[in-house]
Amino acid sequence: MKKDLEHKFVTELEDNQNIVHKVCSLYTNNRDAHNDLFQEITIQLWKAYPKFRGESKFSTWMYRVALNTAITLYRKSKKQVRTQDYSDFIYKIKSDDYDETQEQQLRLMYNALKQLGDIDKALVFLYLEDKDYGEISDTLGISEVNARVKMNRIKKKLRTIVNP
Amino acid sequence: MDELELLKKDWQKKEGTMPKLSYDEIYSMLWKKSSSIVKWIFIISIIEFVLPHLLYLLPSVREGVPFYEQLGVKNLMIGISIFNYIVVFYFIFQFYKRYREISVLENAKDLMRRIIRTRRTVKHYIIFALSLFLFTFLAIATAIYLSDGEHLITVLNLDDDATNLSPARLKALISFVFIIMGILFTALIGLIYFLIYGLLIRKLGRNYNELKQLEI
Repeated sequence: MKKDLEHKFVTELEDNQNIVHKVCSLYTNNRDAHNDLFQEITIQLWKAYPKFRGESKFSTWMYRVALNTAITLYRKSKKQVRTQDYSDFIYKIKSDDYDETQEQQLRLMYNALKQLGDIDKALVFLYLEDKDYGEISDTLGISEVNARVKMNRIKKKLRTIVNP
Repeated sequence: MDELELLKKDWQKKEGTMPKLSYDEIYSMLWKKSSSIVKWIFIISIIEFVLPHLLYLLPSVREGVPFYEQLGVKNLMIGISIFNYIVVFYFIFQFYKRYREISVLENAKDLMRRIIRTRRTVKHYIIFALSLFLFTFLAIATAIYLSDGEHLITVLNLDDDATNLSPARLKALISFVFIIMGILFTALIGLIYFLIYGLLIRKLGRNYNELKQLEI
């Protein structure tokens, strides 16, 4: 019975691990810290898993636990180096719409993203993941109106970082 | 085009560039120990609850009991101890109840609120413990001041040098020393405690305030 649960959990997490990796890449600056946070999120997901009754999709449920761990529960390890390393964000746009100015702009945007506070990052993350304001406000515990207001402020903030 | 829309398009294409862990790698993580802030708060709080009581195991503290008796404050000290234990158990009960209510499935704001509330229980306990500590010192100082000077010399086992002072001055001096010691110890322990408290909860408090300010 327990083995079944373990198997089911690991399989679901394996299929949806992208969500956790994206959270980790947003909240950490190097590979070690990334793995550390990934592990902590996995532990928290696993601890909470018996309470997951399948009333929502596994992935939906993951967003909340992963963000809560990154924002609140996770304590940065002492080893964390201060240098900025964007290796996780190195993207290879080799498609037809490759555009140098666009790539430059994206690079600036990703850098700007890293400079945001923990809460702002969470908002942007959910926004980028195409979550609606209802779900964003639900996850963070703020009203929908305030989620919109905050998002507009972040957009402005990002714009000034990218175009000083 | 909105910069953020551009980012969103790119972000959604990113799936392929993210690391990919195998089934076994994820499986092995299930049994690793959590190092979450909640766990740290739990461990540190337990230490804070237990530590002051371990002091009574020290021989020098136990030897104080006959001293209280001779000073005539034995009943007061027993009273303080009983009161102390009742309050400590109340705080531990509160702390445990609040600790159990912390759930990672809450929304971010409620989760932070519950963690801070749990930690605040310990803060209140520390304020109580420090006040009682200071009160005990002041009570002893008062008892010394009101006691019979000659008697005091035998109680404290003072050598002959000390008896050169007049009993009244001796009493005043010793109670003064007790008051200063009480204040210094209380301040020192308080300082250490609030440093730890501040460090543990700094990031959490900042994020919580940011969410709370939104609602004003």
